[in-house]
Amino acid sequence: MTRTLKHVVLLLIVFIWVLPFVALVTTSLRSETASKTSGFWTAFTPTELGHRFGTHDKGETQPFVTMSGNIFERLNKDRDSFIIEGDVESILFKGRLPDPDNPGKTKLLRQLIYAGETMDVRDGKFVFQTNGDFTWTFPEASAPKPKNLVTFINQDPVFGTDAYVEVLFENKNVTNALISSFIVTIPATIIPITIAAFAAYAFAWMRFPGRDWLFVLVVSLMVVPTQLAFLPVLQGFSGIASWATSLNAWMTDCEATKTCQVASKSFASLWVTHTAFGLPLAIYLLRNYIVGLPKELLESARIDGASHLQIFTKLIIPLSVPALASFGIFQFLWVWNDLIVALYIGSADSADLVFPIRLQKQLGTFKDQLHLLNASAVISIIVPVIVFLAMQRYFIRGLLAGSVKGG
Amino acid sequence: MNYKFGAVASALAVAATMYANPALAEVCDTPTALGDLGKFDGETITIMGSMEGNDEEMLTNAVSCFEKATGAVVKYSGSRDFAALIVADLRSNNAPNIAIFPQPGLAADMAKEGHLTPLGQASADWMTENYGAGSSWAALGTYANADGKEDFYGFAYKMDLKSLVWYSPEQFEDNGYEIPDTMEGLLALSDQMVEDGNTPWCIGVESGNATGWTATDWMEDLMLRTTTPENYDRWVSNDLPFNSPEVVNAMEVYGQFSRNDDYVAGGASSVATTFFGDAPKGLFSSPASCMMHRQASFIPSFFPKKGEEVANGEADFFYFPPYESADLGNPVLGAGTLWTMTKDSPATRAFFEYLKEASAHEVWMGQGSFLTAHKGANLDAYATPALRKQGEILSNATTFRFDASDLMPGAIGAGAFWSEMTAFANGQDTKKTADNIQSAWDAIK
Repeated sequence: MTRTLKHVVLLLIVFIWVLPFVALVTTSLRSETASKTSGFWTAFTPTELGHRFGTHDKGETQPFVTMSGNIFERLNKDRDSFIIEGDVESILFKGRLPDPDNPGKTKLLRQLIYAGETMDVRDGKFVFQTNGDFTWTFPEASAPKPKNLVTFINQDPVFGTDAYVEVLFENKNVTNALISSFIVTIPATIIPITIAAFAAYAFAWMRFPGRDWLFVLVVSLMVVPTQLAFLPVLQGFSGIASWATSLNAWMTDCEATKTCQVASKSFASLWVTHTAFGLPLAIYLLRNYIVGLPKELLESARIDGASHLQIFTKLIIPLSVPALASFGIFQFLWVWNDLIVALYIGSADSADLVFPIRLQKQLGTFKDQLHLLNASAVISIIVPVIVFLAMQRYFIRGLLAGSVKGG
Repeated sequence: MNYKFGAVASALAVAATMYANPALAEVCDTPTALGDLGKFDGETITIMGSMEGNDEEMLTNAVSCFEKATGAVVKYSGSRDFAALIVADLRSNNAPNIAIFPQPGLAADMAKEGHLTPLGQASADWMTENYGAGSSWAALGTYANADGKEDFYGFAYKMDLKSLVWYSPEQFEDNGYEIPDTMEGLLALSDQMVEDGNTPWCIGVESGNATGWTATDWMEDLMLRTTTPENYDRWVSNDLPFNSPEVVNAMEVYGQFSRNDDYVAGGASSVATTFFGDAPKGLFSSPASCMMHRQASFIPSFFPKKGEEVANGEADFFYFPPYESADLGNPVLGAGTLWTMTKDSPATRAFFEYLKEASAHEVWMGQGSFLTAHKGANLDAYATPALRKQGEILSNATTFRFDASDLMPGAIGAGAFWSEMTAFANGQDTKKTADNIQSAWDAIK
């Protein structure tokens, strides 16, 4: 009984967590109109959607008595994908008629016209069938202006990868941003892990004066919010950059080509910032893990004459893989998803923008084109998912190991 | 390490330029020829602004003609968070060469902190001479520096006309509506639409951390239509307090439009949460969810087909009319982006010379969503008849006033005015809204 209940609750939680992702993926595969006018849950069943269909093109001025055509053909004329298929439900008819209640005034008539019914369009008789065939008959040959009619179609589900093609191939910025994100994220994950592993070993197994106080200081740095430090950090980078610029001018012949300027905001500044702000947590996590390794093991190594460096590389690192991997995932996800540090500290060159900034820019550009934004969002999720799945077994072990003392 | 990536980036940039090249040749081919600006081979100019998407593309095209003429390299980076980023960059010594301020308020603040380089009296005189209503434009770019000395900092380039009502001619034809030329007529038409079961207006004021600015535009347009231009100027400088009867009256008139559930698509409560760029889409949905949309000249970029509607007749606009009874002439509200020098260099100075060229204006006129007060620019360069028509509204105006919220101090014009108008949209009382803005202003005096 309790077991069934547990399963139901688990399933419910999984459902709640997966639902937004399903919505995202579904919407990214739908057409622009469909995603804007109806919810994603309607994507799998026939749905009634409004379309505006024009009877003929402006240029066609040949007089006719009867025009016959097909609504679907007209609607799909300029479409390569998301072909509209289904049944024509109704057409919204609007026109002004004399108002019987208020003599001298007119009244707007709005009425849904169904298949087979006759409606008066520009003084011609317009009749359509469910399959989209229509005829437009005039008493004598005439050349009316084209008329756009709001047509409600019970539309069959249709999916396409247009949004992905547009995002990935037509708009080169997204692939570019993916590469930039990797350039930022990989060093910004590896550098802090390396430094933190050394520091954690020192805090755990080396004796030096003030060790505990220093460790408390490092841990307390975790509470410093990144946002608070933007201005001083930026000032620091600008100081370093101007120093590097003069060094560059002194050491190379860059003046001739006007390339002396060293940018203060670059990938390197992002690496340094992410490393600095990632270190306190990394040191804390790794130190707690390393301190729990069996003491006897290290002591016997030392008796055998191993130096600190040897102990570190031969014993500590192989034994700490779970903790290293778990922090690696943390740091990777944090840097990959980071927007604000990249915005303030990273290069503003459009070629160097990282993925979250690109996504935010699409919000500005395409806030109306949800399907494109959704496609980019799905792409941005894929990388962290792969990293997580590849390292999750370490992740769980590492989390437990870091928190519980003892081996 | 950094250099290598820089090289990759510039290789990509070169590739991108090569793709774009055939179109560029035509873009730079303007009716008025470009004068000599000097040679700045390899010099880099960095520009920061808030323009993204279509506008960014057009900006890049416009500056590419400067690059072609001088050999300099112009790098533009646009972000919707410009207002926050530029302050951090200026205060931390990371200034770009040029910053494009959408609001004079923030530019004035930065000038006061000493982050802007004056463009010189000669430029101010040039602007007075060569721009329509030139002295007002020069005044718009003149701020006090840290010592209180006034200087010319902001070069207005790319202007917007605000007093426009957008509609779909097809909808008007289907419903048998006529374009009104008085405010009384506009209100009667709105009532007629309600009676017919249509919804007259689409209004949306949501805009991220700038939410509320659409509402301030409405207010300003209505101020110009309910009281004298002199009172408008006094309002801008707060000689006429926010809670004075004139201002409260304008706010109440705005409330007649925006707080009327029958008037607004989605109901009055949707105004605060509708993205301003999504609001006009109601004109084109099937079936249309509203009949009219009051917004500045830039808005077609947000239409479903990115403004193609204006060219093919699916969308049109008319002048937001004045009250016949008020006899205040034809007032027009507008705004412009201000280009300021944040880091001096010879190439940057040449760039400001470029902005004085008629050709620099024509480049963008030909691409769309750009209006200019430059008298030397050839009107034939406007991309569409619609833009020309807007140019005519600009010149037929008996009164021209700048966007008031842009002229007010940043804390009001880009702060309390926005947020309180959003609260107003959410149902806050008129009197309380006016009082709150006034007390925010009193606090910074």
